[in-house]
Parts: sequence; structure tokens; C-alpha cells
Amino acid sequence: MTINRRDFIKVCALSAAAAAGSRYFGIAPFAQPNPAGMDSLDFIRSTCSPNCTGACGFNAMVYKGRIQSLVQAADYPEKEYNPRGCLRGQSMLNLIYGPDRLKQPLIRIGKRGEGKFRAVSWDEALDHVADKLAEIMQKYGPESVATTIQVPGTGYVNKGALMRLASMYDWSVIHAYTMNGDLPAFWPMTFGVQTEELESLEWTNSKYTMVLGSNVLVTRVPDAKFLNISREKGGKLVVVDPNYSPTASKADEWVQINPSTDAAFALGIVSVILNEKLYDEDFIKTYTDMPLLVRLDNHKKLLASDVASLAGRAKARKKNIPEYREQYVVYNKNSKGYAIPDPEDLKRNFDPALEGEFEVGLTNGERVKAKPVFQLLAELMKREFTPEKAARIIAPEESRVPAYTEMIARIAREMATTQPLHIVYGASNYQWYHGDLKGRALSLIVTLTGNLGKPGAGISTYAGQYRVRWPLGAWWGFKDKKNKWLNYLLWMNDEYRGSEEFRKYNKEIPHPKNGVKAFIYGWGNPFDQHNMANRMREKASSGELELIVTTDFQMSTSCLWSDVVLPGVAWYEKYDLTATVPHPYVQLQQPAIEPLFQSMPEIWIFKEIAKRLAERTGNREILKNIADFYPDPGLFKTEEAARKDGSWSLKLARRLANEASLDATSLMLRTGGPQVQDMSVDMLKKGPVRMNLPTPDNRQIMFHEQIAQFKPFPPVSYPAPLPKTARFVRSGRIEFYKDDDVFIETGETLPTHKDPFVDTENKKATGASGHYKLALITRNALYRVHSTHSNNLTLLELQDMKPKVWMNPRAAEERGIREGDHVAAYNDRGKVYGYAVLDPGLHQNVAVFEEGWWSRYLEGTSYNSLTYPWIKAAHLIYFTPGVWEPTTAWNETACEVKKAEGVSHA
Amino acid sequence: MRKLGMVIDLNRCIGCRSCAVVCKIHNSVPPGMWWQRVETVGSQEHMIAVGEYPDLSEVFLPVPCQHCDNAPCVKVCPVGATWQREDGIVLVDYERCIGCRYCMTACPYGVRQFNWQNSDNSFREGFKKAGFDQNWFADKDYRYGYPFDHRTKDGRLVFTLRRPKGVVEKCTFCVQYVDQGLLPACVRGCPGNARTFGDLNDPDSDISRIIRGRNVIKLMAELATEPKVFYIPPARKEGKGGISYEKKL
Repeated sequence: MTINRRDFIKVCALSAAAAAGSRYFGIAPFAQPNPAGMDSLDFIRSTCSPNCTGACGFNAMVYKGRIQSLVQAADYPEKEYNPRGCLRGQSMLNLIYGPDRLKQPLIRIGKRGEGKFRAVSWDEALDHVADKLAEIMQKYGPESVATTIQVPGTGYVNKGALMRLASMYDWSVIHAYTMNGDLPAFWPMTFGVQTEELESLEWTNSKYTMVLGSNVLVTRVPDAKFLNISREKGGKLVVVDPNYSPTASKADEWVQINPSTDAAFALGIVSVILNEKLYDEDFIKTYTDMPLLVRLDNHKKLLASDVASLAGRAKARKKNIPEYREQYVVYNKNSKGYAIPDPEDLKRNFDPALEGEFEVGLTNGERVKAKPVFQLLAELMKREFTPEKAARIIAPEESRVPAYTEMIARIAREMATTQPLHIVYGASNYQWYHGDLKGRALSLIVTLTGNLGKPGAGISTYAGQYRVRWPLGAWWGFKDKKNKWLNYLLWMNDEYRGSEEFRKYNKEIPHPKNGVKAFIYGWGNPFDQHNMANRMREKASSGELELIVTTDFQMSTSCLWSDVVLPGVAWYEKYDLTATVPHPYVQLQQPAIEPLFQSMPEIWIFKEIAKRLAERTGNREILKNIADFYPDPGLFKTEEAARKDGSWSLKLARRLANEASLDATSLMLRTGGPQVQDMSVDMLKKGPVRMNLPTPDNRQIMFHEQIAQFKPFPPVSYPAPLPKTARFVRSGRIEFYKDDDVFIETGETLPTHKDPFVDTENKKATGASGHYKLALITRNALYRVHSTHSNNLTLLELQDMKPKVWMNPRAAEERGIREGDHVAAYNDRGKVYGYAVLDPGLHQNVAVFEEGWWSRYLEGTSYNSLTYPWIKAAHLIYFTPGVWEPTTAWNETACEVKKAEGVSHA
Repeated sequence: MRKLGMVIDLNRCIGCRSCAVVCKIHNSVPPGMWWQRVETVGSQEHMIAVGEYPDLSEVFLPVPCQHCDNAPCVKVCPVGATWQREDGIVLVDYERCIGCRYCMTACPYGVRQFNWQNSDNSFREGFKKAGFDQNWFADKDYRYGYPFDHRTKDGRLVFTLRRPKGVVEKCTFCVQYVDQGLLPACVRGCPGNARTFGDLNDPDSDISRIIRGRNVIKLMAELATEPKVFYIPPARKEGKGGISYEKKL
């Protein structure tokens, strides 16, 4: 949308008056227009789209073909949302025009990682890539080509183009959600979904908000105000975190706990809720597995088909229910007999027992004892998680145990009696080996108290957020072909792939028979940024990876490690479609300027690779259809014709790519189903459009259909088809009792707490036991979006241009470290350098390093050299990419910190 | 005559420094200079807690030019380069400033910055300090910020993208926008909705309504500089929010 000056002033005045509930803003439009001024400026609306999912609308102020500055568009219909956009988005110009901007395609001439390249033409670069890919696919099989994209929600078109290319040639896609460790595994285990969350505007409806391991004020800047507004409206905010944070500073209460003990805290609360009967009995009987009977002999849920009195009925009904459903058993207090709850309809015409022990006759004549899940849970809570026992686990000092015991009971009562209750379940909480247990424990609190399906209620995860909002297959899959997949941690962890545990539990996860030989990706910086970045570098140095191709708009560390660098563009230089999950607005990215230098929209880059590869692999089927890579084959043919007659130019290719991007957008809207019905590119060009959601006022409220209409769990998590996720909760209910073998064998059938490092660092011969006393938390910085903005001049200045290591003053003193010292955080696996900052708000046993620094700022070290690709067996038993698969546990990293003097530099 | 001022609610301020950054980009403030800073009160490092467990706090304080009604900088300027306009905005005339820096000494808020070299050179130095091989943008003709010179009605140069060597600069309440009926960049750009800007002389303006009958703070009020930037102090935390569970049990 091009806005002229007069409109712009109108827009600004409007949004200003509308902002923040008018309590604060509003200015009468005074003063006279400046004749020399804004008339010659253009304002083009785009959507800020780094690898956060904020998706904030920005207007680019364009003068003579250059973006002079950025202004938040502030055009969301709910005034409270305006303005969206933070310091990172506001200083994006430092990246678009910065010294690291890529100018043309590059082919490596030095050693990998050395950064020596030859600038080449697009033709040479693309032919080189196609030659190599064809050779590798021929030699090792197409699945040995691995690819990945980051944060699909911020680029349905261009990121989708790489998925389309991958589907075309059967490459293996790595789901970046688990590569990044952002998958909160409790979601599929408990609710059968990838994730759910309230839109941030809904926070203002919560009367009680508990934030665990999330620093909203830093990581969700445009949404943070809603915590403040919630408090202004009389809500309470509690922050639970080992470390005092900016978010804690805004809270009514900060609860300091030991690292990775959130589950114990949650279960302490649950024990009080159960003990004092503060739960919503009707709710848990209707929507959860609490009334289902569990056999005491084998710890499995009792199957209706095994019960003598029910087997006939179960068999008859089996034909009418989907294959992914299972029929379980309750004791119906009304009929004084056993009953089968309908897994496809949660409406209840029975009154199940929650407590007691039952003896059941099986079809084979045996009689077994069984108890409802609720009964087992209550027993476990009474045994292990009384407030006093929980306090012992979570309290940083012995002396605080009595106060913590009281605090747990008080907070439990507050949470149980204040509605709506909302829990923000942060990545710092769950990116641990036993992170799933924490989510299972915390979701118990909202479920027991009936806080689901209502405005302002529920449990939300705002890290990563890979869910796309509607089916995208028409664009993402070439001719409806499905993608093949690969798990990142298993690629990085050869030792585990050879282990007995892996063989025992893995049923579904594929791995290329010849390993990964080529890696082609975009929108990421894995050679800095990923768990085991050092292993990636080893695979590059050793030649195990025969080809590395990166598209980016800047010369990141990962570009330095690549064989071919293909210059892509930023979100003010192309068309794309964004729809993420923190808010339900569908928006466009629109070109405010011509791409700089020779950079090209990624849709064109991947189209060209697809075409050149088709010519080389000689696959007739693909060759015949190749013009369909662009939704309108006419555009493809126009470009080919121009090539032939010599009229081809970058400008033409860009124009066609832009048209193709809008076509792809239309295609995805047209085929997207009811959520985007009647939405058009023209509407999106004017501004953000709210999706059609199956809730009152289209507000993003979790599980509304399940709770209000008694539909079975789970709702669909796009793009996975329902049967792939519904099988995680076969009862159609919220499941707190998991009876897959692995849960029984690890003692995790019910939510429980397990201490950090016991099953990981302390088990390894060279592990943490004894000499690594600190937990290394690699938190997100105010000044970066992961590794984007690491080289932002303005934001570097705000950090004194240097990386830092945060420590508690006492922990520092014990190690002879003073403020400002150059230090190394290290363990047996690696080290990272920074400058010590003493922070009295930090837990004694924690060292913090802010992730995202490019290696060049770290004297070549990497914070990811300290991490390890831990794999939890429970995450292996299914493989639904990005929903149930092994996921990175960044924080499960023990370290020590010492002065850097005497430490040999990397 | 209107008198422009700003009020910043410290309860709403989330310390994100977006105001400082948006100010810097729109006004093309070179590396090494800030027209606006955001600090954590009592702490040298931003966002580091102050105090000892359990009494920790982080109070974030944005400090733009206070546009004092009784501005010490105006009084000491020997050449009248710094003056308070009729609408209350304190400005620097880049063409008249002689670089004596008396105003910087006089300002108790430390918001004035001096161009020891022309601002292009400050950018070059900034890129170098930040460790870049190159000392300029990839596009050699690029420089961000509002692209036009801005003059007051009486013709005084109060904004220019490339500041000359030897002049003092500071926050102008974004005079180039305010004169076109727009809000200052930091007010428009605050993601926390912490700021209100408007006419203090108009009893019906939002800013007047917010300030009236409320305890607002003026920084270093005892100096009688009469700032036109006001702060709403952080409220006391009851620890319980609006929750009182006892009644229900």
C-alpha cells in the first residue's frame, strides 16, 4: 500500500488517538503542513519478519528509492494492539544497508569457514548448485539432501518455495522447531496439539497470570504492555523464575526457584488444589482422562475391549470411530457399573467415579484391580509433592523452606479461586531434558480449575511458534507431493542413533541411508546458532557434508561456512504472506524498494534451482511440469522466452517473481479453508485482516470448540493431518496419564518432577558431576532476534559492543571474578568468552549468556559448543515432524566460569 | 499559545529502549550519541536488578531532553543558538551554534551531545568500533533518518540529516514531525504505550487530564528548571495484585 503524505498524517493521528485505550494518547492535529517535507515521501506497509513471530506492521518511509526510516503501521483494528514493533524492527535499516549486506552470488575458494569467496554471476552460482545437487542425489539418493527453513509463519510464500522445491525432489526437511528446541513436548502428550496460545490481547482478560521461565518484556516487546494492562484492570501477575528479570520487576510477586524445578512447584500447587478440593469436578469428569480406569497390574489404561461386560459394545462401536481412537472405561456412579465414554463426543450422560479402587472382570476370565487416573494422581501428590516436599525442591536456600511451604499453599488457593487464570509457559522453563514434565504439571493447574476454552484462560507457549494457520499444501507441495523429513538431533547425535535405547523406542523416524551429504537452507544461521554448531562445523570441515548452500541477505557466520552463498532479500524488498500465532492477523510483506545490488527474492532462487536441477536429473515428469513451479506457468514461460531472445534482466526476473509471490498468496488464501475464506490479496494490501476463528468475535482462545461444543481433542495442528496428532490422545480427552511403554518404564505415566542433570550431565563419564556447578542459561537478548541483529550497529552500541556473562555476585566472588572481567564459560565440550556482569537477581547456581552472538564477536568461540544433543526416549516413540520428535534441550548444560587469562584462545 | 510537553508513565515503561532507537534512526543520531537514553535506576547496567534478595527492583527511566520552561541551557548560550520556541520546545539552531558547549555544562540532565567531527565521520568511527571491516553502509550514498532539512517559521535550521562539525545537538521533540501535526517518533513508537504528548495549556488535552490531580515527578525539580517532561512514578506493589482469596474460602 502506498500512502501519500496526507493519508499518512491521517493514519498516524488516528492510530495515535486510538492507541492505548485513549487513556494516554491523543493529540489534536495541529500545525500546518510543511511544504518542503513529506509530500515527496512514500510510505509502504510491510510486516517485520525476523525469526520472532511478532509479525509487526511497519510503514517504510521511502525517499528516492531508499528507506529513510521505519514507523510502526499501528493499523490494527483493536486499538490496544497499536503500535506493534520494537527496537529491533525499528533499526532494521542497519541490516538492510549495513556493511554485511550481500551484494552478489558467491562461490567459496578458501577453506570452509575461512570466508574466501569469488563473486560470480547468478547463472554460474545456480548452475554450480544444480550440478552438485544432481551429483549428490545420483550418488547417495535424494534423501541425502537436507533442507530447513526457520519460522514458516513469517514467509508462507518464499519459505514455502523451498518446501515446494524439497517436495519436488524428495529431499529431507529438518523441522526447525525441534532443531531450535522450541517444541514444548507436553502439548502433544497432553492435548494432542503442536501448541496453543491466547493472542496477547487476551492477556488483559486474565485475572491471574503466572509467567514461568519467560521474559516477556524482552522477548515479546510489543505484547508486554498487555501484562501491565491486565494489572491495571485488577489482575495479578506472578513471575516464577530462578532469576529476577525485567518481567519480574513488573509482577506483583516474584517466586525464585531452583533451576529446572518448575514441575515440583506446579505439583505442590496441584497437591493443595486436590487436598482442599478446589478443583472443578464437572470439568475434569467431562474433558479429561481423570475418570478413566488404569490397571494396577500393567499400568495401562483399561481398554473397553478387554472388559468382559463391555467387549461386545466396544466391538460394535469400533466400526463407527476413527482408527486413531481408543475406547476406555469409567465406573459410572449413576448406573453403578462400567461404561465407555464416547471418544468422539465429550458430552456426558454418565457420572464417573474419580476416586476408589475397582476390580474388573476381563474377557479372558482374569480379574484385575484398577483405579481412576484421578485417584492415582491424588496418591502421587500426597506421597511426593506436599507443599513442604515441593518447597524443599524449589527453595534456593534451606532457610526459606518454611516460607516457601506457606507460599505454595497460598498461591495454590489464589490460582484455584481466581478466574480466568492464564499460565505463560516459557522456553527457559521447558528447554530442559525434562521440560515436558513441567508442561504436563503446569497444564494440570489450568485443567483442574477449568481454565480452558474461555477468554483470558489457559496455558500458552510463545517461544518458536511454528504452527501455520491453515493448510498450505497447494503451494508448499509441488503437485501435492508431501515432504520427506529428518530429525536434526539424530543427525547430530550419531552415538545415540547407534544406541540400544534408540533401537528400542524408535518406530517411525527415518534417516537417510547414506547420511546427510548436502545442506541447503535459508533464514537461519545454524553454524552459530544451533545446538552443536561445532558439530555442524566439524561435518563441514571433514567433508562429510559435500555441499553447503545458504540463502541470506547478510554475510552471516553460516555464509562463511558455505560453498555457495545466494543473496536473498529483506522483508521490505519482496512480497510475502505472514500469519503467525501471537495474534490472528494475516498480513503482507510488500516491496518498499528494489532489492539492493543483485539480491533476489527467494522464490526466484528456488524456482531457478528447481529448473536447472530438472534439466540435469532428466526426470521427465518434473521437466514436463517445471513451468508450474510458479503458480502461473505463464510467468515462468515469459522469463524463459526473455532468456532466449536476450531481453532477460534482473529487473524483469524480479517483477515476475513479485507477481508469482502474489499468485502464491492468492492460491494459499483460495485453498486455505474457512479461516481465510473471502480474504483476498487486495484486502491484505490495505492492511492487516483478522482470521475467521471458531470463537466469539474471532478471538484467539484455546480449545473453545472442545469446551463449548464438546468436540473431542485435539483440534488440528496445521499442516499435520488430524490422524497424525489425534493418535497422541486416543481417548479424545486431555490426557494426564500416558501409558505408552516408555512412560511406564521411566516412571512418567503421571506428571512428576525430576531434577536437572541427573539423567544427562551426571550420567556421562566426563559430565558435570562434581566439577561443573553452574547451569548455563542461554537466554534471549533485548538486542537481537536470535542471531539476527547481532551485527546491528545501533543495538551493538547499547551493549557496549561486547558479549557478557551474567553471574550472581556471590558466585562470582567464589570464583575470584569481578565486574567487567573477561571470562570464559566452559565445560568439557567447549567454551565461550564474555565480560562478567554481576547481577544480584541471578540464582547462585546459574550463569547466563545471551544467545545470538555471531562467532566474530566471540573470538571464534560459540556458546553452542557447550551444549549437547540430549535425546529423551519419550520423544522418539512417534514421528510427526515438529509435533512429536526429539527436541533440543539447550539449558541442560552444566558449566563453570573462570577468568579468561590463561585460557587459550580458540 | 500552546505549550508542548510529554508525560511518561513509569508503570507502563518496559525498559525496551525502543524510544531511544527509534529516535536515533529518525533523527539520524550518529554512533556514540543518544538524544534519549533509558536507564535502570540505580544500576550501571541496564536491566540489572538493584538491591538484595528479596527486595530487588528494576525501575526503567527514559530520559529525553526535558524541554525546561526555565532552561539553563538557554540562559548560558552566548549567541542565542539555543532558545525556547513559543510552543515550549527547546531547540538548537545549527547555523548559529558556535560549539562552546556552555549549554552542555549547564544542562543537569546530560542530554546534549557534541559533534566533535562531522556526523559522517562519527558513523565511520562507529562502524570501526563495532568491528566491521568496512566503515560505511553497503550503499555508499546511504544514511538513515528524516531526509529533509527542517527550519522554523523564522527560518532557523533545527534539523539536518548530516550535522556539521562543532555543533551541539539534542532531542527536539521531533520538531520536524510536530510541525507537520505528527507526534514525536518516540511517542508514536513506544510499544508499551507509556507516553503522552500534547498541549499543557489546553485543559482538555490528554496530557493535561493525565497530569491533573496526580502525583507526577519532574526530574531534579529542586533545580527549578521546570521540565515539561513529567513522570508518573511506579506504584507500590501490594504483592497480591487485586486478589483476595481468603474471603472465598
